[in-house]
Formats: sequence, structure tokens, C-alpha cells
Amino acid sequence: MKVSLHWLRRFVDFDLTATELAEKLTMRGFESEVVSDFDSLENLVVGDVLTAKKHPDADKLKLCSVSDGSETFSVVCGAPNVDAGQKIVFAKVGAVLPGNFKIGKAKIRGVESFGMICSERELGISEEHDGIMVLDESFNAGTPIKEVLGPLYNAIDIEVTPDKAFALSHRGIAREVATIVGSKLKTPINNVKLNPKTKDVISVELDKKGGCTRYIAGTMKGLKVGPSPKWLAEYLKSVGQKSINNLVDISNFMLLEIGHPTHVFDLKKLAKPAIKVSWAKKGEKFDALDEETYELSTDHMVITDTKNTVALAGIIGGMDSSVTDSTTEVLIESAYFDPVVIRKGSKKLNLLSEASRRFERGTDSNAALEAFNMIVQLMQEVAGGTLESMITDECSMSLDNTSVDLSSEKLLKYAGQEIASKDIDSILKGLHIDAKKTKTGWNCSIPTFRTDLKVETDLIEEVFRLYGYDNIKSSFNYSSIMQYANDEESTISSLKHHLSSLGFHQSYNNSLEDIEEVKLFGKDAVSVMNPSSERMNTLRTNLHSGLLKNLDFNYRNGSANTLIYEYGTIFEGKTDKLDDITQKSSLSCLVHGDLFSKNVHFDSIPASFSFLKGVASNIFEDKRLGIKVKFSEQKHHYCDPYFSIIDGKKQVIGGLGIIKDSLLKQLDIAHKHEVVIFDIDPEIFTNYGSYSTKVEDIVTFPIVQRDLNFKMDSSIQVGDVVKTMKSINQSILQNVIPVDIYQSKDTSSKDILFSLNFQSAKKTLEDNDVNSIITEIINIVSKKFNAKLRDN
Amino acid sequence: MSLDKTIKGLKTSFSKELSKSKTSQDLENFRIKYLGRNGQLASLFEEFNKLPVSEKPRFGKELNILKNELTNLYQNALRGNNENSVSSDIDFSLPGYKLPDGKIHPLEQITSEIKSIFQSIGFSVAYGPEIDDDYHNFEALNVPKHHPARDMQDTFFINPNAVLRTHTSNVQIHLMENQDPPLRHICCGRVFRNEAVSYKSFCLFNQVEGLVINETSSFAEMKGTLEYFVQEMFGKDTKMRFRPSYFPFTEPSAEVDIWNSKLNQWMEILGCGMVNPNVLSNVGYDNEKYQGFAFGLGIERIAMIKYGIKDIRLFYQNDKRFLEQF
Repeated sequence: MKVSLHWLRRFVDFDLTATELAEKLTMRGFESEVVSDFDSLENLVVGDVLTAKKHPDADKLKLCSVSDGSETFSVVCGAPNVDAGQKIVFAKVGAVLPGNFKIGKAKIRGVESFGMICSERELGISEEHDGIMVLDESFNAGTPIKEVLGPLYNAIDIEVTPDKAFALSHRGIAREVATIVGSKLKTPINNVKLNPKTKDVISVELDKKGGCTRYIAGTMKGLKVGPSPKWLAEYLKSVGQKSINNLVDISNFMLLEIGHPTHVFDLKKLAKPAIKVSWAKKGEKFDALDEETYELSTDHMVITDTKNTVALAGIIGGMDSSVTDSTTEVLIESAYFDPVVIRKGSKKLNLLSEASRRFERGTDSNAALEAFNMIVQLMQEVAGGTLESMITDECSMSLDNTSVDLSSEKLLKYAGQEIASKDIDSILKGLHIDAKKTKTGWNCSIPTFRTDLKVETDLIEEVFRLYGYDNIKSSFNYSSIMQYANDEESTISSLKHHLSSLGFHQSYNNSLEDIEEVKLFGKDAVSVMNPSSERMNTLRTNLHSGLLKNLDFNYRNGSANTLIYEYGTIFEGKTDKLDDITQKSSLSCLVHGDLFSKNVHFDSIPASFSFLKGVASNIFEDKRLGIKVKFSEQKHHYCDPYFSIIDGKKQVIGGLGIIKDSLLKQLDIAHKHEVVIFDIDPEIFTNYGSYSTKVEDIVTFPIVQRDLNFKMDSSIQVGDVVKTMKSINQSILQNVIPVDIYQSKDTSSKDILFSLNFQSAKKTLEDNDVNSIITEIINIVSKKFNAKLRDN
Repeated sequence: MSLDKTIKGLKTSFSKELSKSKTSQDLENFRIKYLGRNGQLASLFEEFNKLPVSEKPRFGKELNILKNELTNLYQNALRGNNENSVSSDIDFSLPGYKLPDGKIHPLEQITSEIKSIFQSIGFSVAYGPEIDDDYHNFEALNVPKHHPARDMQDTFFINPNAVLRTHTSNVQIHLMENQDPPLRHICCGRVFRNEAVSYKSFCLFNQVEGLVINETSSFAEMKGTLEYFVQEMFGKDTKMRFRPSYFPFTEPSAEVDIWNSKLNQWMEILGCGMVNPNVLSNVGYDNEKYQGFAFGLGIERIAMIKYGIKDIRLFYQNDKRFLEQF
């Protein structure tokens, strides 16, 4: 909300610049930014345009000579309205305009320009930028601009939080300023007694179901629509609003003055001078002031003239009954609407107005009459009309102050320190709260404009806020009871570090993806009802899609070799019901390209399926976890081949596979090699506990190593042969490693060289111990795989 | 006596031939001839076996000395040969081969840092669901259905009653529903906001939230706790301020700014406040007896301040050139 210092001074005297005021209000919980602080602007003076000629090289530019009272400068100006004889805002070389816009010497289309003639937008006054700002002729050239514009246009922008309804007006902010500077609040418009001309009574009927608990109405006649007086137009301009005409301006002025929305109907356009507040019919069409037609529902409260809907209550007026240039008679509405009704109605139409913003936050029940009286007074003064009817005030709500107790014990317990009783007294007084001392604290009478103060903690907050958060001393005296990460958390953390040590970068990908892409992965996905874009309308069902995008991005940016992983949540759901949705953690790795690129030392080593299978072994067979796993080939929606990784308890603890080319094509993933993925189910993985180990004795007897070279059919899987060999002896045959495979081009057989390690935990092995096993292996392998032992 | 002579002869021919063996192939042939399983030294030992028992001790000793001597000579020659070849074959100016070097994501690093700071002062870590019902994300936290405070967080809906959580505060409710005070926890994880994606906002971000509930924790203690955190995270000399603010789930509420001396301005880093008594009663706690404070901070924001990152989207692009820098 834009707040003008000029306007605030109607209510309170203070000696602060806009910058100082913004800082003070920010520390009171009203986050403020300076819009324009003319006191801080240097090198800005009233300029006198002596001449304005066409620029020699540009049709739309003018070449002006501008006097600052003592010197004359040549200035190029692009505004269509600049003319000789004008007094203007002249920013000299060296000036810095709002938004840190520095003015320097410039050459524009070959002509040197010393300074700039400013528009209102450039000065932060309004959005007006079609032309330059023209000042009153009475100003003398050379007068500093802060003296000319400062008094009127110094302004700040306040972000008012949803709880502080009372602060949505200049009077509301002025109350806060009064507590900051310690001065009294003034009453610029005195409440005078209004004398209606007739005894006519406007009938007002409220709906019994509630929604509107106070409605004040009255009519005025003999009004003359015309331009607003200067003072009124200036106040509106000081917050960047345009003056429209006296009647409209008065209504807008009152809103920003005391924060209570009112509405003015053209009396002649109402079926009769009567008001009925009720609910819209389903599907009812309503032509609003903003020239839009809205379709209403039964949730919408409407104002009717007993025949037609003339306003959408508390949100916006109707087009047909609005004030125009020919209006002479009006009906004035000042009401209280229920915040929830207004909130629902405005949300449903996605229609926010200055009025709805205030009603949905809760308005002051007493301000309704105050606003009504002020409007009538102002209209009499400015538009020459008189109050015609009696004032109808239909009211079914309490207009009394509420009462809230504040206990000193609670205040102490909340603050953690004593706040002096006299400080609290003066804080409450500053807030216009009538506080009576009780045995336990204070009984507080809350003025109706503070709709936010309902319970004790609301008051505690106010006391802290005005006392100053900085004045509450911090305390910190933990006898540090260190908490450690639980097993699950530390296992996952170790796993991440393990992967990084193996060369994997960790990714963080968006959880929201495009449903068309998610579908390709073949799971039941959960979608968002109100996505911000179609590219992000569905929750990921796996981590592979994100990792593939990372591969694609990096590949296209010159980096083909990719080792990445992500740990994150994936979602599945047969329906959008919460009970049907599963959300669980997952961990996936992806590799592509080379682990090592070719170099002078050796050829490239691919980051292949075998590499990732090795990584799986690294992780699962870690001695500290000792997870025994088997790889079992399965059909997979988008991998071929794909192996489920099964642990000793027959649980699927992970998976390993090569992404199908068809998927890569559909997703247009840039790549040149196979793309391999490896998954770990974190839930099962962490069930194996944290990384911890019991050390086994180291066997010191020598290892005997033997080689065996077999020739066998190409179709035989080497893994099967290894498994068979290992099963022959489990006491001293420690390991079987296929060292070399030679596939001759023209035969259907291959030679495989196996290296066998023997070691006993009990003794040094003799030749005989090993030979008998070797013989057995040769026999069994020869028979089972129809293999032939070859000479070394 | 002939054995004595043989030993001497072997020594001479051994030295002579060794000095002529230059290549590694020569040396290997030499080894087989003298020291191999059927080599000359082995045949000497065979002869030794035939000696009468009385002579065995003397010759045994001599043969062992001989064996050691010859083996040493051979090993030295071999080493010398290798040293020569090493220094002539390798170009030490070539680049070494770097092992692949993976990095932990910057957001994870910051989260870990924050977690360990709070763990060091007695906070436990908790997690909760990213899709939750309206009750846990809003209503239980004192944000009723038709309240303007709902506009503070643009929400993604899964169905009219389930949302992508807009903060990790839903975990606070789950915690309190399942456990009695005292509580001292932080909750971490992803939260979602339906905002246009730009350099300064993304549709999701990571949050760490803290909750302390007991019979005494005060505003002063909240200030002390968060001052400790800021000093640990940003340095002992960090200038900070508590500024009144509004959150529906806390009262009094505050925002914390730290001074950025490079930009010469305050930067907001976290929100906090005393837990609203309505929240406590919603989970069935006695709000006359118990009180406490809560706070929440955005990991991306802190990472951006700490690492000087200007575009939030970089965190989710996973550009290798970015990740490598951490």
C-alpha cells in the first residue's frame, strides 16, 4: 500500500524523512520501502524551459535550453509536451533518481545533453510517463526540488500483513507513527451533526442468515459533478491516483483516509430508494463497474434495489447504477460485511478490489457510520449537495469494545524476562487500549478498529512489538546435549558420500514434470489440479526422468561423460485420494560415456553396465553391511536388459538396467553410448543398519594362485561357470576371476582364462591340497559345459 | 674337495655372465641358468645331498652363503636394469590421470551444515510427507479455509483437500500428534509454491524448520538459539536483527535479517515466533502449561547468500560445470 507522508501529516506531526519512516515502520512489523524521498535527492531543481526546438537529426526529439536560475543548459528531451515557458523538474548531471538511475552527460543523436527533464514516473510520483511533469509557473528556477515536491510527494510503500486490517489506511498508519514519535493523533474532519432535509426513510432489509450485519444508507440531492478541488486531487496524486471527478474522488479518498469502503449509487438509476441485501441466484449475470460481466453463485452476497442486483456486496458496484457525469442524486452505502463471505465471493470470481481486501480482513464496525458521515460532509462541501433522507442504520452487531485479559505472569513467561509495568501501561495507552490494572495483570478494553486483538497472545505480541524485539535480551544456556543422526539418516548420508567418492555428482531435480513424459515411464502418476505450467503438472514416478534430462543437458553442453545420482521422493497413485497415493524415497544412479577418457596413459574405460554392476557390488558387498545380492533378469517397461537385485531375504533391494533406445528417442535425450541406470531401495537398504563392522582375523598363510584355460561354446554365460567352480569347494577356493576371454572370429567357441585363488585359514597349502580340487573342477566344468581344458 | 672348486668356479662365471646381461630377456635367461629350479645352484644342492653326513654342516653353511650372495647380485643387477628403463621410458611432464571426483549437491551440503548446528544443541531431525491433507498443512496450523493468510503461500492442489505442502510445518503437526512434550526437533525437506519460475523463485524449495515445545522456552530463548545458529552459519561477527512480522502459526512472530556488507543492505534469512496457542490446542496439548517457539528457513536462499549464486534455477539444472564447483 502506497502511503504519502503529506497525507499522514493530516493525522500526526512528525519530523522524519521517508527513508527514516520506512526504517522505523519496518522495525514495527510494517515492511516498508521508500517510493520517493525528495529530501535525499541532490542536483534536482526547478528548471525554466527557455527554448524548445526540433532536434536537427530526430523528429521525435526536442532540443531545449533550460535555465536553473543562474546557468543555461542544453538538454535533449523526448517528451511531446515539453514547451518553452514551462517550469519543469530538472535533473542536473550528477543527480540520482529513484531506482538508482544516475544522470550523466550524454550525446543523443549527435547532440550533447546536460541533464534531463523528468516525468512523474521517473520521480516515483505516479505511473505517468507520456510526458514530462509540468510545475506551477509560480516556482522560481533554481529552487531545490525537495522544497517543491517533497512536501507533497514523499511516499513509502508498505507491505501490510493479512492480520493488520487496521493499517490499511493513512489514519491506521498514522496511529502507529504517533506511537513511534510520541505525538497525539489529530482529527482532520470533525464529526458534525447532519440535518436531513426530509423525514424520508430509506428502507434497508438485511438477510436473516447473516453476511451483512450493519448497513447504513441515506440519499443526497442537488449534487453537481465536476472536477475535484485542488487539495483533494493533490492527496490522491500523492499516492499516485488520478483525479476522476469530485464524487468518485471523495469515495476513493475516504477509503485511503480511514480504510472503510463505501459505495455511491446513482439514485435515479435505482428502481426505488430502497436496499435489500440478499444472496445471488445461481448463474445470475452481473455487469460490474469494471466493464466485466460476472456469473454469480449462491455464495455471493448482493445488494439489490429490491428488484435488480445493483452491487456485488463488499466487492464491486454495478455498471447500471454507477455515478456518471450527469448524476445529481445519490444513495450512499456504508456497511459491514462478514470477512468469510467476502473472501469466498472474491476468490470464486478471482476478483480482488480495494474494498474486498479490507472487508475480508475485517473492518471496524464503528467506522461504518463515521465513514458515512464524513462522505456526506465532504459531498456537501465539495459537490454542493444536501442530505435528503434520514439516515438508516440497520445494525445487528455489537459496536462495543471487547475485553481481553493480559496476565503479567504469562507475559513474563513468554518474554523470558521482566518488562517494567509502566512500560506496558504506556504501550497499551499508545494503542488506544483502555487497560485497568487487576490482581494478575491488566483488563484491556480493545477498540473496535483493532479487529486483530482477540486473545491474550495478540496483546503479548503488541507489547513485544512496541517494546522492541531488540530490547528483549536473548538467552542461550544449553548444556549442549548433542543429538546424533539416527541410523537411517547416517546410512543414507554415508551412501551419498560413498557414491560421490566413486565419482558420482549428486543431482536435485524438479519433482514436477510433464504428464506426457511421465506416462512414458508407465506408472500411475499423481497430477496437480492447478499447475503453473503444462511442463510441470505431474509428480515424478521415478528419478530416472530427471537424471536423463541432466544427461541431455550436459551432453548438449559439451560433457558426454556423466556419472550422476539423485536421492529424493517419488510418487504414485491410482487416484488422487490421499490414501491411494504412495510417496517414498528412492535413489537412482545413471552413467553414460566414459569413466576415463582415452589418454596418453591408457585407452578409455567406459562407464558401462559392468561398471555400474561393480558399483552395486561396492555398495552392497561393503563388509560393514554385508548384503548378499543376486541379479535376476526381469522384463522392464523401459530397460533392456533389466536385472532386479535381490537380497538374502528375497527382497528387491535394487535394480540395474540399460535404458531402451526407444525411450531415449521419445524423450529426445542426447547420447552416444548405452545409458545405464542403477536403483537402490533406501527403505530396504537402511534396514541393514548403519555402517559398522566386526573385524575378522587376517589369514596370513600364503595364497596359491592357479590359472585354468577352457574352450567352450560362445553361448555359455561365464557367470554360470564361475558359480559352478565356486560351488565345488568352499573351504580353500577363495575366488574365481575370469581374466581373459578370447572369441575367435570364425568359430562359435571362446577361450576363457580363469584365475583361481586358494588359501587356507589353517595351514600353508601343499600342491596336493590344490591339485585334487583343480582336477575336480576340470572334470565338472568339462562335463557340465562341454568345455575343453587348453594347455597354457 | 671338488665341491669347493665348483663353488669358486660358479662364482666367477656367475659374475662374468651377469655383467654381460643387459636386457631384461638376458637377465631372465641368466636367472633360469643359475638360479632356476633346474639351474646350476640347484644342482649344487643336489650334489650336497649326496655328501657324507660329516661334511654336510660345513658345506651347508657355505652353500647358503653362496645362495644369498648370488641372489643379491642378481637382484641388484635386475634393479639397476629396471631403474635405467624407468628413467628412460617415462615422460614426467605428462599430465597425471585424474580419478573421477563426484560432489555432494550444494543444497545438501547446506542442509547438512544446518542439521549439524542444530543437532549440536540438542535438536533431533524429523521428516514427513510432501503431499498432505489440508488439515495438516493449513488448518491445524491456524490457517482456516477462508482466511486471507492463505494468499501468503500459493498452493498446488492434488485434490480439493490435499496439497503439495507449502512448508515443512506439517511435520510439526504430525510430530505433536504422535508425541508429548517436551519436543526439540528440526524438520527438513521439499516444499512447493505455485509461483512463476524465474531467477529468484522456483516451484519448489527446500526448508528446514525447528520446533521447541516445553514449559519454559521463551522469546528470549528463541532469540538466543537463532543467534547461535546465525553465528555458526555465517560467522561470529554477523550483524542480525529481529523484526516483527506475521505468520498464522506463531505469535508473536518475527523475521530475521542479516546484514550483507557487500550489498550494504539487510537480507531476510528466516521467519520465527512463539507457537500460536491454537496450534498447541489443535494437537491436544495444554496450551496453558506448554509453550515454545518455531522457526523456518529456506535452504536455497541461504545457499545463494553463502555461495553468491544469482539464479535459483541453477540448483535444479544440474549443470556439471556448476556442481563441480562445490
